[in-house]
Amino acid sequence: MELIMQQMPIVIGALNVGFLQTLKLFAVTLLGALPLGLIISFGSMSEFKPLSILTKLFVWIIRGTPLMIQLLIFYFFPGLVLKNNIWGSGENGRFMAASIAFIINYACYFSEIYRGGIQGVPRGQQEAGLVLGMTKTQIFFHVTLLQMIKRILPPISNEIITLVKDTSLARIIALQEIIWAGQAFLKGSQGISGAIWPLFFTAVYYLIFSGILTVLLGKIEEKLNYFR
Amino acid sequence: MKKWLALMLAGAMCLSMAACGASKTEDKQDTKEPADTTASAESSDAAANAESSDLDYVRGNGNLVVGITDFEPMDYKDADGNWIGFDADMAKAFADSLGVDVEFVEIDWDNKVLELDAKTIDCVWNGMTLTPEVTSAMDCSNAYCNNAQVVILPKDKADQYKSVEDMKDLTFAVEAGSAGEAEIKALNYNCTAVKAQSDALMEVAAGTSDAAVIDLLMASAMVGEGTGYADLTYTLNLNSEEYGVGFRKGSDLVAALNDFLKSTYADGSLMKCAETYKVDASIVEQK
Repeated sequence: MELIMQQMPIVIGALNVGFLQTLKLFAVTLLGALPLGLIISFGSMSEFKPLSILTKLFVWIIRGTPLMIQLLIFYFFPGLVLKNNIWGSGENGRFMAASIAFIINYACYFSEIYRGGIQGVPRGQQEAGLVLGMTKTQIFFHVTLLQMIKRILPPISNEIITLVKDTSLARIIALQEIIWAGQAFLKGSQGISGAIWPLFFTAVYYLIFSGILTVLLGKIEEKLNYFR
Repeated sequence: MKKWLALMLAGAMCLSMAACGASKTEDKQDTKEPADTTASAESSDAAANAESSDLDYVRGNGNLVVGITDFEPMDYKDADGNWIGFDADMAKAFADSLGVDVEFVEIDWDNKVLELDAKTIDCVWNGMTLTPEVTSAMDCSNAYCNNAQVVILPKDKADQYKSVEDMKDLTFAVEAGSAGEAEIKALNYNCTAVKAQSDALMEVAAGTSDAAVIDLLMASAMVGEGTGYADLTYTLNLNSEEYGVGFRKGSDLVAALNDFLKSTYADGSLMKCAETYKVDASIVEQK
């Protein structure tokens, strides 16, 4: 116990640095995947068949393969197969590759949720809009969108909480997120070696962060209650 | 009709993607390594050809990217977050001698060959044991340091197991792909492969394995009084082994490093660096 107290400041410092990386990846993924998911969902609902088939094929490939493999492919494929390492050598390249893999992966999951949300809004409302002379775009933004957001909030919240923990997969391409930072003390880092507890202690960070998110998402859900 | 259209579109998409990839590759090859694809297939003799040399590639980039893990006393961080250690200091000196900067990148040890071939790093310089697996996948420098694989046991049980024969009923935890795993497999003893040497220690500490096999250098740093594993101890060297630096296949940096090791051994700066990190007893003579 005394030993842990001594190690605490160094470990917390390192875990904070790692957690910052986790948060960055989390935020970038959400910012990219939420809009991209909407675009993909339009693609898969398109009446132009080739587009919708291609999009569905793409969604199938991304949802049908492990995110860990996708990370490895995105990071190593350019250098290994195209003989042109586009990511450079440092931490930034790893972060970029991880971000892109995460954004694409999550956008595909989001797109299916959006599709469910959009198709769940009764068709009669769109027909009513058309009768009133609104364009398709007007109908989407003024009639469908807000109702869709209300419907998709619970499943999206689910994905967001999953994303918090999935960021740890990025350690496979040596992105130094919080699990990596915790594991470093097992092997030896900054004068501390063979310390098991920092790895398990990372769970506290995840718990607190997902707790905050749960409360926040609950609040948003309450706000949207006026649709009833 | 629609199916046909879909096929056409899919084909067009594939083509456009391929075109993008190809043009990018050409751009880069023009500036840096015109004959890269052929170079990797040829032997190190071809590397003498200045056009396709790995040395020129590194000089062109202006930095030598060194793949490492946090591994005291070879590569680790000081209080200010700078990479130090015997390997880190030698890598800095080597980069200096080439006239380039050094950049240290932490990698996942399992992916070291991938990282090298994808050119996300230029060498692996991290107390790497020269096993047949390593030397077949990379071109390696001369050995510069000796090491051994040791058996980790709980302190209270250590005196029951004095010889390799005594240990035949134990279950061992070993790092996947490590030299320790090769030793245990060769003996045909029970073993569980785990992700890292430190995980192997955790297995013994938690009692999920009876014993573990890890590096002597690491064992001396991580096991015993004043560490997180005060209840463990290490016994019995299973083998002796050597450390080297790994480069891409066919790289002319191997020859450059061997010359560098010789000259720094001759002028004493290599030994001086080794003394700083207390690994001087393990250094291999360079001649």
